Amino acid sequence: MAGSPLETTSSKGKLLAFFAQVPLLGWLFGALTAVLAEQFLGSQLVDLLGLPKIPVLFGCMIVLKKPLLVPGTLAYVLCIYLLPLAIVARMAAPWWNKIAGYLYRLSPSVAVIVHLVLMYAILHIWSGISAYRLLTVKLTMIAVMVTLSLNVINGYMGEFSCSHPGFLALGAYTASVFTLLFFANDKIFGTALLPASLGPFLFPLALILGGLVAALGALAIAVPSFRTRGDYLAIISLAFMFIVKSMIENLEIVGGPRGLSSQPNYVNLPTVFIWTVLCVWIINNFVRSTVGKALNAVRDDEMAADAMTVNTRRTKVVAFLFAAFWAGIAGGLFAHVLRYVNPSTFGIQKLAEVLAMVYFGGLNSVYGSVVGAVSLSMLSEALRPLELFKWIIIPLLLILVMIFRPTGLIAFTEFDVKGLIRPKGKE
Amino acid sequence: MGFFLQNLINALQWGSFYALIALGYSMVYGVLMLFNFAHGDIFMVGAYIGFGIASGLLALTALGGIVLPSWLILVLTIIISMFLTSFVGMIVERVGYRPLRDAPRASAAITGLMIGIILETGNLALLGARRVRFPTLIQSTTYDIGGVFVTNKKIMIVVVSIALMFALHQFVRKSKWGMAMRAMAFDYVVVPLLGVPINTIARLTFAIGSALAAAAGILFGVAYPVLDPYMGIVFGWKAFVAAILGGRGSILGATLAGFLLGFIEIFVAMIFPSTLRDFIAYSIILLILTFRPHGFFGEPYSARLRL
Amino acid sequence: MKKSSIIVVTLLAVALIVSPSVWAKQKLIKIGINAPLTGDIPKVGEGTKYAAQMWLEDIKAAGGLEVGGKKYPVELVIEDNESKAESAVKANTKMITEDEVLAIVGPQASKQAVPAGDVANNYKTPMISPWSTNPDTTKNRPYVFRGCFLDPFQGPVLANFITKEFGFSKAAVLYDVASDYPKGLAEFFKQAWEKIHGPGSVVAFESFTTKDADFSSQLTKIIRSGAQVLFVPQYYNEVALIVQQAHELGWNKPIVGSDSWGSAETVKLCGKDCYGLFFSTHYAAAGATGATKAFIDRYKKKYGYVPDDVAALTWDSLRIVQQAIQSCGKITGNIEKDRLCVRDALAKIKEFDGITGKMTFTEDGDPIKCAVIVKISDKGEYEFYKSVCP
Repeated sequence: MAGSPLETTSSKGKLLAFFAQVPLLGWLFGALTAVLAEQFLGSQLVDLLGLPKIPVLFGCMIVLKKPLLVPGTLAYVLCIYLLPLAIVARMAAPWWNKIAGYLYRLSPSVAVIVHLVLMYAILHIWSGISAYRLLTVKLTMIAVMVTLSLNVINGYMGEFSCSHPGFLALGAYTASVFTLLFFANDKIFGTALLPASLGPFLFPLALILGGLVAALGALAIAVPSFRTRGDYLAIISLAFMFIVKSMIENLEIVGGPRGLSSQPNYVNLPTVFIWTVLCVWIINNFVRSTVGKALNAVRDDEMAADAMTVNTRRTKVVAFLFAAFWAGIAGGLFAHVLRYVNPSTFGIQKLAEVLAMVYFGGLNSVYGSVVGAVSLSMLSEALRPLELFKWIIIPLLLILVMIFRPTGLIAFTEFDVKGLIRPKGKE
Repeated sequence: MGFFLQNLINALQWGSFYALIALGYSMVYGVLMLFNFAHGDIFMVGAYIGFGIASGLLALTALGGIVLPSWLILVLTIIISMFLTSFVGMIVERVGYRPLRDAPRASAAITGLMIGIILETGNLALLGARRVRFPTLIQSTTYDIGGVFVTNKKIMIVVVSIALMFALHQFVRKSKWGMAMRAMAFDYVVVPLLGVPINTIARLTFAIGSALAAAAGILFGVAYPVLDPYMGIVFGWKAFVAAILGGRGSILGATLAGFLLGFIEIFVAMIFPSTLRDFIAYSIILLILTFRPHGFFGEPYSARLRL
Repeated sequence: MKKSSIIVVTLLAVALIVSPSVWAKQKLIKIGINAPLTGDIPKVGEGTKYAAQMWLEDIKAAGGLEVGGKKYPVELVIEDNESKAESAVKANTKMITEDEVLAIVGPQASKQAVPAGDVANNYKTPMISPWSTNPDTTKNRPYVFRGCFLDPFQGPVLANFITKEFGFSKAAVLYDVASDYPKGLAEFFKQAWEKIHGPGSVVAFESFTTKDADFSSQLTKIIRSGAQVLFVPQYYNEVALIVQQAHELGWNKPIVGSDSWGSAETVKLCGKDCYGLFFSTHYAAAGATGATKAFIDRYKKKYGYVPDDVAALTWDSLRIVQQAIQSCGKITGNIEKDRLCVRDALAKIKEFDGITGKMTFTEDGDPIKCAVIVKISDKGEYEFYKSVCP
């Protein structure tokens, strides 16, 4: 979100210092005003500026396709997004700080809920404008979950795991089979076993089941690979990914290479939002718990950790299964957003994508994963008109980030919820 | 028996590609402790460079500019492409790996991955979407030895790859540079302090690995004459498996593991229903690693790893 | 702050002056193209794009698309689906909701066409996949059509052809297990063959995985099995490798292929090894006549190679869409109404005379059309051999 804590003291410029006093609450209200403005004034403004439609992703696509519309698009983005954001957030900053302070003193958890509700409202209105935005938002949130769960292994634990596409596949297929078997009339599994009206209520069960199966798969990797330290997890996990893909291709019962289609349409925006928030919250708590700290100790020096009575092997296995569980849930959501899965989706291409998001965002950081997943998925949508050259620009960007910030954009940062919602500036 | 022998010969050819590519992986991994995920795509680039040189030489011959027998063209193609591709490797090292030498190892792996994507897309942008046919440099002759079919190409490929592996082995064992590499592999921190030029060694490692990948690419073109920009991906990842399976920095290990991977893939398809090939082949590898977690020739190392 | 506000005002002013002149609101017919320009099968994407651009040229030369006596300008919205399912879904959603296309042509491969078809059907936008052979693409989706015949038809056609032509009774199949199209066709062929010759008459049913280059162990098995003919429903790049390796391993019996061989690249990559082989396809390039020949010549002149079946099918699909739009009678400007009208017109199309044969859509949106058996001549050309109709 737009409210990352900025250093006011450094020479980052007056402008940053100027905005640094705005609390997250202020930014959220600013964004809310912006999306409301778009909702009610967007189409009139578009007509006025001569744009074809409301620019979906801040006008990137229009800018790249029709250079003559650049001024109009810029003006639109300025009027709809930047001005309300600047005015509402900055001008009213003292009030926001007061409200934020009041909420915070009342109870931090109430404050968190207020922030989340606002966030959801913004997403809801923003994605309500177009189905394409909605789809992008859903897939982006799923990418956040996947990235975050891989960060637990690659960042917090410091191993190099390549098996995430495999976990995604396990989760996706398990959840799909569950919903297709019980709630959908389908040519592979026949008629629904349970009334379809029960479906949305039992859907979380399908997801959790998917997560559990993924965790079970993770156990198959964890047992051989955590006996010693080294790079062997990298190939064991890679072999696992090949095995899962090959297994699904051979299972005629789940459609083989043809894949499974027509999963029921359960995953709407609130569902994805709730699961994503849950995932961020639980993983954040996990990495800040004693297990998480033990994990960091294992990464930095396994022998020292062992000497400090950390049961290193158990810690690693627990973290690995935990990460796989969330990847499985993300896989289940993914399958129900696309309403189609096939084994070739979960191959090396997916692996490269997820790894890029983790390392781009930053290791050992919940912030980083959110930033990495959101920025890369948005970027790859926004650069769509460039076709081939998109796949030169994105890798180049990643290489540059790696060279100048080898651990990623926002690495080794604690995700401090209380610090985030606290009022800013001097009270 | 004939059936078995036939598959043995097929597996030897298939394994030699894995082995040649795995060697490049293994050298970078052994000396610098880095994964070079761009290696599969360097193999692709090598094959395309070979394609360009072979076509150029053939065109020259056809125009009557020079008179060269086709075997000489093949030899020249291999030598020139190995030379040129080694520069590609050095550029990859300079751009993607040197700035990251002190960074977490995985970050360098990501730059490698991204350089690979750039190489693939760059190829697609430069040459268009068509696949190209590698020119026929040797007329294939099939010998029927008691029901076992062997082609002259297969013999050539296996002989050339083994010769290259042997040459590499000698280089690393006997030469001054080879010794420096082994020293670096032994201790990454202290050896540069003793005056071994780390940048030169790193460049050399990448250059040799890439040259071998180029040789593999051309031999691949001779055996399977269809090249496409994405041909290196699967090869790269599987050779990565072979390199680590062989043990850290072990040339013999990478060679053996490469051949073993080839054998497993071919023989699993021979014995079991071929649909289950990947499933069984990689389960076997998982099993091997369970019992030999450090690969064939790797030693357990207690040195603290960077991330 | 002052400076920036001046910039803001100037920008706004410029925007107000410049933009409307560029974008005069007018009734425009937009057709979406969903093609794999990057990813596994860029050649397929290229063929799609080129055929679409040729079609657009024709429309532009005619001064627009004439509907009900009025000419409308046409715009193509070409999106890359990176040969990924999720990207194809995103591209379709974008074209339908953002660009407001009237109809979509593509995606080509079934793994993208199945999920993308779901999107098109949900948003009630007519879509034709020129090349997807998976029955699920169109099943229970009134808005989704396809431009090619299905595997359940092609399998028996080939089984019958081999039986009649050569009189063989033992066949072998080699296919890619990880890819939808070859696997489906291999199974339908096996079914049809065993129906004619009895169970067990497919003596070897071997597979490999996408991107494999070595088929020696499978081919060795096939050769030992005593098969009389080898059926290879693979894409052209694999065909070149399989045929060559089979010959090197001592196979000298016929090899028969399917419509995925129907690309100029097959012979280019395969060389003399492929001469004399047969395959079934949508049209024969050599010796084509009439509109088909005109299309091939024009394409070849423009892009330098004989068009693939994908290009021909895309061309036909666009022409079908064009005909449907025209038979609609008028463009109301209400996109939902127009889409519905185009869909109804598509479903009603009878005996459409395409360059890949005559077609009529069934209730599921699949065409009934004839297959052509082609022989690769000694000059490497695709010669018409026989036509098989359902």
